[in-house]
Amino acid sequence: MNLVSVAAKNVGRNKGRSVMTVLGAAIAIVLFVLLQTVLSAWNVGVEAAAKDRIGTRHKISFILPLPKRYADDIRAVPGVKTATWANWFGGKDPKNPNSFFATMAVDSKTFFDVYDEMKLAPEVKEKWLEDRKGAIVGDVLAKQLAVKVGDRITLSGTIFPGDWQFNVVGIYEATRKSVDRSQFIFHWDYLNESIPEKQRDTIGWVIARIDDPGKGADISATVDRMFDERDIQTATMSEKAMNLSFMAMLSAILKALNIVSVVILFIMTLILGNTIAMGVRERTNEYGVLRAIGFQPKHIVVFILAEAATVGLFSGLVGLALAYPIVELGMGRFLEENMGGFFPYFRIDKSTMAAAVGLGLGLSLAAALIPAYRASKLSVTDALRRIA
Amino acid sequence: MADVESGGDKGGGDKVGGEDVGDDSPAKSTEGHPHRAGSPVSRSGGPPPIIEMRGVGKVFFRGKEPVEVLRNLNLDVPEGSFEALMGPSGSGKSTLLNLIAGLDQPTSGTARVAGHDLVKMNDSELAKFRSRTMGFIFQAYNLLPVLTALENVELPLLLVSLTASERRKRAQTALRVVGLEERMDHYPRQLSGGQEQRVTIARALVNDPTIIVADEPTGDLDRKSADDVLTLLERLNTELKKTILMVTHDPAAAERATVIRRLNKGALE
Repeated sequence: MNLVSVAAKNVGRNKGRSVMTVLGAAIAIVLFVLLQTVLSAWNVGVEAAAKDRIGTRHKISFILPLPKRYADDIRAVPGVKTATWANWFGGKDPKNPNSFFATMAVDSKTFFDVYDEMKLAPEVKEKWLEDRKGAIVGDVLAKQLAVKVGDRITLSGTIFPGDWQFNVVGIYEATRKSVDRSQFIFHWDYLNESIPEKQRDTIGWVIARIDDPGKGADISATVDRMFDERDIQTATMSEKAMNLSFMAMLSAILKALNIVSVVILFIMTLILGNTIAMGVRERTNEYGVLRAIGFQPKHIVVFILAEAATVGLFSGLVGLALAYPIVELGMGRFLEENMGGFFPYFRIDKSTMAAAVGLGLGLSLAAALIPAYRASKLSVTDALRRIA
Repeated sequence: MADVESGGDKGGGDKVGGEDVGDDSPAKSTEGHPHRAGSPVSRSGGPPPIIEMRGVGKVFFRGKEPVEVLRNLNLDVPEGSFEALMGPSGSGKSTLLNLIAGLDQPTSGTARVAGHDLVKMNDSELAKFRSRTMGFIFQAYNLLPVLTALENVELPLLLVSLTASERRKRAQTALRVVGLEERMDHYPRQLSGGQEQRVTIARALVNDPTIIVADEPTGDLDRKSADDVLTLLERLNTELKKTILMVTHDPAAAERATVIRRLNKGALE
């Protein structure tokens, strides 16, 4: 027995109130975990960016096109091993137009060399290269669109209007969990040949693999310098920075989610603070007894903080125990399968788990500081006179 | 229990408020109490009293208005005595007990208890003094409901450098002394009022204090339980030589003490 264990036992004293408090705080922790998981899932592409890849886009905006010949120019820059390009197509499934997935027209000869985390069997790649309307899809998207290899599919173009027919020739394998398994990839040549002539020979962005990740900044600067004197200037950056610049378009949403997280934690602190303050008020007489028999004010502080820590720890653990099945068994799977473009990997990461338990504990302690300080400052005789 | 004659057994040369009162103090009560004393008891040339208060005053403030609860109080309590403090409500009994126990400090005067000058001690020193020197018995028992009888008794030992098994052993011994060895693992809610008070006594005893202060220890008990508790206090006094100061309203309880002091309007009669 020690002071901390005695304090922990006190939590079970008013079981109803303790359970309600832990549940209230645990629900706040669940919401916090969900929001943080949304944020980390959104950032998973950023975090998983390859260090040896740099991206080049239009200097003004992501959505403005680059001339296709820029890709060849970039390939010639010293330090660049290979480069590929892609164009955002904006295709929709006419049967389910609200369903979002990435559709990209890519340089089919080089795309899978640069994005080597997406595996394609050599014979499948060969078959794809032979089929002008051939498309490669992710397994999650194939399930969502209910297509298999050999099927024909029609997508509606949003950026390039019309009905576009494709043959599903293969399904790529994602070798990293950060890879979006719901992409739709087809030949840029097919797109280029099918659109009006004045729109032809443009691409969305170029991604290059470089020899030395440590020289990424220098190579990026060389690329941009090369196009400085041309009509269209470029912005070249690491893949991570490029992903971040894409994420910047969603910054308001991300900021809002962060603010909501803080508000939730604040509410949780109030719940805990109220319960702890009530408990301290009820037990003032006992603190008086403890002081009378020789315990010091610091012991009273430890006693109250230990009780608060127990409640906070339980709240964090219960919250995590509730959030885990919600995310891992329900929500995560659903989002990965239906919104893989936004959430390729929607799972609770370890830092969120640690934050949930740590915040439960830390905020509980913070909420207990004032009641603990006040209780420690009470005179012994005043405390002894208090009746709960 | 042997009736300890405060004057006789402890010797002569007693004082009242710092003045010599002769050898036969304290005076017998006309109401049949074994002894009635508003006077400190000390023996010239003998050991100094364990409690020695001089010119003690205590003023509380009700808002801005000062309320004088104790005034110019002198008190000597010899070691090993069992004294009862009586008086009407508001006479200052509990305040005096709190000052002696180091729970509060006087507004004026000096208080020397078990060799410690309480007036000069800070909060932390007073806490240490209480844990080593004093044992407390409260009217409402004040046991922690989440702890068993044994754990409640063990509580003061958390402040002492003892191993868990030593603590347990001492707490068991204290519970044995109060006759509750069969109830060690019971929670306060599973005990009767008398048993709870005996656990409180064991808790007061476990640190082997020099002085035990009891504030209305029988106030919430029926006659039979009160008698048991008082008998226990007598034993602690006679067998373990503990100095006991007991505040009580109950004349029957006071009769069990060897000295009865009466307080009225903040002064010893």
